[in-house]
Amino acid sequence: MAGAGRRKSNNWALVAPLYLFTILFVGLPLIYMVYLSFMSRAKVWGFTNDFTLQNYLQILEPIYMSTFGTSLKLAVLTTAIVTLIGYPFGYFMARLGAKAKRLMMIGIMIPFWTSSLVRLNGWIIVFRSNGVLDKLLMWIGLTDEPLKLLYSYPAVVFGMVYALCPFMMLSVYSSAEKLDWRLLEAASDLGAGRARAFFDIAFPLTMPGLMSGIVLTFIPSMGLFFVADILGGSKVVLIGNVIQEQMTKGRNLPFAAALSVVLMLMTSCMLGLYRKICGNWKGLD
Amino acid sequence: MKRRLSLALTGVLIMGCLSGCGAKETGELNLFTWDGMFPQEILDGFEEETGYRINYTNFDYDEDMLAKLEEAQGGDYDYIIADDYIIEVAIEEGLVQKLDKSKLSNWENINPLYQGQFYDLTDEYTIPHGAGIPLIVYDPSQVSVEITGYEDLWNPSLEDSIAIIGNYRVIEGITLKTLGKSFNTEDLEDITAAGEKLKSLAPNIRLISDSNTQDYLLSGEVSVAFMYTSQVVAAMQANPDLKIVYPTEGLGIGIMAGFIPSDAPNAEAAYAFADYINRPENAAKCFEYLGYYCTNKAAEEYIAEEMRYYLTVPENITETEMIQNISQEAEDLHSRNWNEFRVLCD
Repeated sequence: MAGAGRRKSNNWALVAPLYLFTILFVGLPLIYMVYLSFMSRAKVWGFTNDFTLQNYLQILEPIYMSTFGTSLKLAVLTTAIVTLIGYPFGYFMARLGAKAKRLMMIGIMIPFWTSSLVRLNGWIIVFRSNGVLDKLLMWIGLTDEPLKLLYSYPAVVFGMVYALCPFMMLSVYSSAEKLDWRLLEAASDLGAGRARAFFDIAFPLTMPGLMSGIVLTFIPSMGLFFVADILGGSKVVLIGNVIQEQMTKGRNLPFAAALSVVLMLMTSCMLGLYRKICGNWKGLD
Repeated sequence: MKRRLSLALTGVLIMGCLSGCGAKETGELNLFTWDGMFPQEILDGFEEETGYRINYTNFDYDEDMLAKLEEAQGGDYDYIIADDYIIEVAIEEGLVQKLDKSKLSNWENINPLYQGQFYDLTDEYTIPHGAGIPLIVYDPSQVSVEITGYEDLWNPSLEDSIAIIGNYRVIEGITLKTLGKSFNTEDLEDITAAGEKLKSLAPNIRLISDSNTQDYLLSGEVSVAFMYTSQVVAAMQANPDLKIVYPTEGLGIGIMAGFIPSDAPNAEAAYAFADYINRPENAAKCFEYLGYYCTNKAAEEYIAEEMRYYLTVPENITETEMIQNISQEAEDLHSRNWNEFRVLCD
């Protein structure tokens, strides 16, 4: 009994730094942000401690509501495309030999050594008018004049998918890796076709990886404002862009805080939904 | 042997420490401004001549500067260079000290065009260091119309071929100008009308970008760009065949200025630095490097001939207006108009 008690207190000492870290760097800033969102903006800079609901009322204006809509739409579209590319990739990667797996892993990881800003700017060199792609297409003879590919909605979607695909690939891979492939063999021995075996066995078993991939894609895609700035030429306005602009040029910190609170509530709802779906899957076991 | 070696090493260490302390005697200049404001040559020259060591720290946004200065209660920094509107706030908050002009032997060199402005009407607190006027630059070989003013940006022949900066006070300001209103109007009806007019510019906008806007013009991505002074200068240097337009409706001007915080740890160093950078030949080097309008009249003749045209405002320019802080309602309306406009651009 005494031994168990001691172990418990040791545990407490081990997790204390974690709690402290969470309180200091997550809890307190969060409280500050919620507090700030109910304050009034000062004349030029900063805020005053006067309670107001104005910041939240302002979010109800059509332009800001539609910005939330645009962000949500882009996040859903991005997540869908990332799933279509990332799921098969992660799944088949898990079936490769050890050496090929390692190579693939390195291939996915290496781009992370470079800042994502630099990588996005790299795409500009490829896609811009008279850029690498344009020259290539004209040389082949597919097009006669430079295309205008950048600074459009599709360019932003491309950037988002490019930035977030690895997260889906890796999380699907990690759950497909644990899959017992003998189950699939057994299914085909018992007469199931390849598709049936996949949908009845492999797909449900890799569901946790898919779901965490979706969360890892969906949540950041609500906030990746710099993709819209760089590849969208600031013409695609996401909620992240509005928050950033209100904090800097707009000099309206309380409004930026209110927008952030609403954004966090939205993503928390998505997380809640995810847990519920995952819970249901576990229940099926 | 070992002992002698360690003694020698100790000696070297002490010497190093002493020489380090020696430099400390005259002290440090805590310079606080954006990154890349001064050529290395000027920073090194100042250190060599005066013995002060420069401790250069940067900020990205004026607001960050003000926040840090507020936190330090006017201390920590000796010389700060920032934008006009934020200096107005800093002065109002008592974070800036009055200048002792007897310590500034080069004060007379400052171009009076940039003095007596709203943020420091009597020139008691600030020394201008560079001015910016966003201008239109276009490639005549790609554009079928002659551009003379902001209004021409609305020409339907420019569909999907203009790059603009992302500063909404400036963009809505030039729209107000086409309606004959002030950049700083607080009349909500005027701002609403400008917002409506701005929306009809959306089809012509290829992209909005604050950084390296000139690159899009140089690469042929766009044929017209409305951009900051440093970008105008960079574009013209890379391709002198481009055309600069000083729009007939009137120019919006912004001034960067240096000031000494109220509780600067080493105000003497700040005076020495302000004086050093305003020596005509030094100022010329600063502005050639910076690419903003030269605020030092005496320096103009030292600026390399091929750059002088771009770094000095033409004599016939008289219609200028500074962008100032406006009421919250007006500011909010601007920001809403801007977002509505941006959504339409795509």
